[in-house]
Amino acid sequence: MTGTAAPIIDIRDLTVTFIGGRKPVHAVNGVTLAIQPAEVLALLGESGSGKSVTLRSLLGLHPPGRTSIGGSIQVAGKDVMALSGRALADFRGKTVSMIFQEPLLALDPVYTVGAQIAETIQRHEAVSRVKARARALALLQKVRIPSPERRLDAFPHEMSGGMRQRAMIALALACNPQILLADEPTTALDATVQIQILLLLRELQRELGLTVILVTHDIGVAVEVADRVAVMYAGRIVETGPVREIIRNPRHPYTQGLLASRAHGAMTGSRLDAIPGSPPDLADLPPGCSFAPRCKHAKATCVETAPEIRSVTADHWMRCMLDAEAAE
Amino acid sequence: MTELADMQQSVARDPRDRGGPRQPLLSVRGLVKHFPVGKNLFGRSRNVVRAVDDVDFELLKGETLGIVGESGCGKSTTARLLMNLIEPDAGEIIFDGEVVGHDISLRDYRRQVQMVFQDSYASLNPRLTIEDSIAFAPRVHGVSRREAVGRAHDLLARVGLEPHRFAGRYPHELSGGQRQRVNIARALALEPRLVILDEAVSALDKSVEAQVLNLLLDLKDAFGLTYIFISHDLNVVRFISDRVMVMYLGKVAEIGDAESVFAQPQHPYSAALLASMPAMDPDARTEQAPLYGDPPNPIDPPPGCRFHTRCRFADPVCSQTVPSLTPAGETQQVACLMRQYGSGHSCIGLEGRA
Repeated sequence: MTGTAAPIIDIRDLTVTFIGGRKPVHAVNGVTLAIQPAEVLALLGESGSGKSVTLRSLLGLHPPGRTSIGGSIQVAGKDVMALSGRALADFRGKTVSMIFQEPLLALDPVYTVGAQIAETIQRHEAVSRVKARARALALLQKVRIPSPERRLDAFPHEMSGGMRQRAMIALALACNPQILLADEPTTALDATVQIQILLLLRELQRELGLTVILVTHDIGVAVEVADRVAVMYAGRIVETGPVREIIRNPRHPYTQGLLASRAHGAMTGSRLDAIPGSPPDLADLPPGCSFAPRCKHAKATCVETAPEIRSVTADHWMRCMLDAEAAE
Repeated sequence: MTELADMQQSVARDPRDRGGPRQPLLSVRGLVKHFPVGKNLFGRSRNVVRAVDDVDFELLKGETLGIVGESGCGKSTTARLLMNLIEPDAGEIIFDGEVVGHDISLRDYRRQVQMVFQDSYASLNPRLTIEDSIAFAPRVHGVSRREAVGRAHDLLARVGLEPHRFAGRYPHELSGGQRQRVNIARALALEPRLVILDEAVSALDKSVEAQVLNLLLDLKDAFGLTYIFISHDLNVVRFISDRVMVMYLGKVAEIGDAESVFAQPQHPYSAALLASMPAMDPDARTEQAPLYGDPPNPIDPPPGCRFHTRCRFADPVCSQTVPSLTPAGETQQVACLMRQYGSGHSCIGLEGRA
């Protein structure tokens, strides 16, 4: 995963601020991220960490009147921020596609699944209705929906949760995109269904050579599918590295805290090593490190100045002034 | 076990304790709740959702019983039935040796059993201050205003919210974690003996979830509480529970000591559910999904064992005979025909299955 090839996604110093409320909300505060072709990156963070906002910026989904965006986003050689109108519509679905947490809300309730997939194909390519329908059927087979011929004419509400999520993946892959963005794709699903969808995503990624960005709050989900993890806190990436490194050798105090506070593997009845406090208000961010008020290693300098990026190894870096290992 | 005995001893000192430490705090017998759906022209319904179908279990004094299962398994309906928020179609609930509704009045029972819900915002009245919300139930039960407010302040301090800062605030002025602390304080205001936590930490961020779990452990010790802890997060249930009950489509699949259920699940469904947890080890990722498809609809569930449509050990007999809970291992009970001698299942007695 070292940066030899040209990255397919290159985000530089992205800032997203929502204006129009009483106070501007600084949702993303300088995200820089380069992703190689066919890489699977997990954006890990809690609610309000800016992970979904970052993902949505890649498709230009933020309403322009109420958002001010800074920095640059290059995706597959295109400047996303310069795209508009027809060019942006062509870009969405054809180059980059997205799946959402709640398929029942993302799919159109008044059209059958087959019609929605065929319509997407016809919007992007000059093919006949019959051909588009045949491709829709092939897509439902690809995502392993049982009896796909019948499901082609089913409405979203007639399907179970897991099946709907499969249908949404089929819809997202309709125009053979290079990049798939997944926003908490399994959070609304039951445990036995979640693992099926994660395995399907992993297989499709390998088979089609997709570049995937997966947004999740669940470290377990990230470990199942991702090559690399970027941990976000208060609109910044605080640590990124290969998934093994992040799990076994976390260096940023927030990542360490997250891993330590999990109930996974903790002794029954013992107390959990919880991170005190709660995430900062995005309308009123502290001047220094955003995590400093909750950090047990914080020093006076942490509160005053925002930390710069420091590399731990060639492909593992973090944003913290202390060497976390020395502080332990 | 000595620890549990100690715990039960301390509970036994409670003056409200009637049956002594060995009497289960709660015995549930044959609990049934069916919801009619899709009424026809004459107001008769054609289908019923068998949300809870003949559920039996016991809850010991001072323990935490975790209830796990997927959507539609009946875990939340069970909680609502225990709280008497909905009326059961059949079955009885025995609280400390007294049948609820006969030997002990609903009013007295409700005072001793409280519940915390998943949505911390929806469960607080937006027009009451935190202090008033917590003091509300004691006031209804005849405590003077001064005493009720004093108790509210004490409880706020106990759940880690400074009374002078938080008592006068409204729910929308608090974060999710703080609101859930208020809900816990409110549940404790009537000094209950049993607290039912229905997905109480599920909506919280991971870093805040750990704080609330720690708080629940502290309060249990301090007030000698008994918990029923319902969650879809198996890691959390394993952490907090003494015993675990696994439910599937309105039935109990397995119940037993938490450590043994997690280490050696006896029901094929429990085994599959546990194997579905993400691996947490990048070098040992899950290679095959333990189950295919979604749980079936609880309207018109499969006959016989409800899991037989997805079970890889299913025999013809499984679609005909309903398994009953039978002892398996030292502390577990399991509803599976493979564990029931004389059931006619071809795998009876075969050890070492997955």
